Amino acid sequence: MIADNPWVDALARMGIIAVAVPVSVIILTWVERKVIGRLQMRLGPMRVGPYGTLQGIADTIKLLTKEDLRPQTADRWTFELAPFVIVVPVFLAFVTLPFTADLFVRNLTLGLFYIVAVSGLSIVGFVMAGWGSDNKYALLGGVRAAAQFISYEIPLVLAVVAVAMLGQSLNLVALVEAQGRVPFIVWQPLAFFIFMVAGLAELYRQPFDIPVAESEVVGGPFVEYSGIRWTMFQMGEFASMVIISVLASLLFLGGWNWPLGEEVGLALQAPLIFVKTSFFILLFMWLKFSLPRLRIDQMMAFCWQVLLPFAFLQIIINGWVLVYGWPDWVMGLTSGLATLTAGYLTYRGARQGAEPASPRLHRVGSAF
Amino acid sequence: MLGVLKAIRTTVTAALRKPVTVQYPSAKKELPHRSRGLPVLLWDFEKDEPFCTGCQVCARYCPVDCMTVTMKDNPLFAEGKSKRKKIIDRFYIDYARCMRCDICVEVCNFDAIVMNNTWEGVELSRYDRGDLVMDMDQLLAQSKTGELKDPFREPMGIAHSGWAPKPALSEVEGAREEEAAAKEEPGEEQT
Repeated sequence: MIADNPWVDALARMGIIAVAVPVSVIILTWVERKVIGRLQMRLGPMRVGPYGTLQGIADTIKLLTKEDLRPQTADRWTFELAPFVIVVPVFLAFVTLPFTADLFVRNLTLGLFYIVAVSGLSIVGFVMAGWGSDNKYALLGGVRAAAQFISYEIPLVLAVVAVAMLGQSLNLVALVEAQGRVPFIVWQPLAFFIFMVAGLAELYRQPFDIPVAESEVVGGPFVEYSGIRWTMFQMGEFASMVIISVLASLLFLGGWNWPLGEEVGLALQAPLIFVKTSFFILLFMWLKFSLPRLRIDQMMAFCWQVLLPFAFLQIIINGWVLVYGWPDWVMGLTSGLATLTAGYLTYRGARQGAEPASPRLHRVGSAF
Repeated sequence: MLGVLKAIRTTVTAALRKPVTVQYPSAKKELPHRSRGLPVLLWDFEKDEPFCTGCQVCARYCPVDCMTVTMKDNPLFAEGKSKRKKIIDRFYIDYARCMRCDICVEVCNFDAIVMNNTWEGVELSRYDRGDLVMDMDQLLAQSKTGELKDPFREPMGIAHSGWAPKPALSEVEGAREEEAAAKEEPGEEQT
């Protein structure tokens, strides 16, 4: 507790979040540019401050002082409110995200459900931006964003449900404590795989940047935005990346608990969760600059033909194991085998898709 | 699927390599010997005067007419210190107009003009275009510092005894013969 009065306490914690999120986004933009630089054998920003550390601040100042343009034919309120509709849910999701056992704004009993529900709202912002811009590329991007987000939300939620079944709770703190000595990634590799792929798709980053593809729809919903409103979209993306990474480390890597245990205190728990989150963030950046963009049919087919059935499979496995009281290793083994099967099916599908004469390709309309 | 693994392996191996970036203004790559900057005049250290006699061949061949050359009688010749009867009086090159075609260097009978192969021959941003019209002092300054890397082509360079220490022609040819012999020997052993 920061203060005795619960309202003052909540406000203080929200103030911390409101400052910490933009600051972490500023740092992440610098980190991302550095990481891209190294992955492409460059140095990244080096001029502003030592090793370019002030680059993020310079970028922010530049973006905040840029002219905020609005097309004359744009639907004014839809256009101007869209960035807020994207950014506000991200901040709302941070309300219940526990970083350590006592580092959060509010420990909601339905925290996981709340995060999934609230972050699902941001799609409205994308569609608003696409529609309000009065631009065909923005509209196409908005429609693509809607299709992709709704498709990948389902496997994401199902993977989360599998974890919630295992932890017997929707409270994130309880879920972390339920993992004990063995993190859920051991028992649920399939759910972890699905969560990571679907989470990556929710972020609209490569290889799932179909809605904002520069070479296809010239930036998608963001095409008409500039200055501070564009910055808000960017902040939404980076903050969502943080949320997905924190969630992945909480749900699958044991959060602040594993492998040090509960009693080590804040001084070790906070660095632990920081390391895990950073690992996922760096993984996302690494993937972003390694993989080419998927085709839209590959993206859709992969979601509906691979991720969704296997997400249900994971839930069925969990149900059997929990109902019949089988030992945990059965779950881990079957889930691992299912992950390998999913990987093999994707591989075979990709191989078949590479052959032009495959009749299956035309019938199903997929080539992933 | 396997392509994904291949792709992330490619990027991570690239990340482990040394970045190729050179922090340009603070660190500079060494320019190649034949780098073609803007033309400068050479200074004859032996006679303490320019090589240029002001014969205007370069100015006549210049496709963009960026040169202005005038000649005068050489005072050092009158004193008997130099063999050059005529010497350059005034020499202007408009760097804004020069297109670095190298023709002036090709046609010069005295090897008095070369393309600047240092960074000074490239870093020529000025606030005023007029500052890019170089007079003779500016054109000779680079040569006088002695930083021009080996400005002459080989047989020509040997003709300039006044320039930086150079092996005599016979030594060069002797070295070449030795090199050729060294190259031939392993070939004979193989056959």
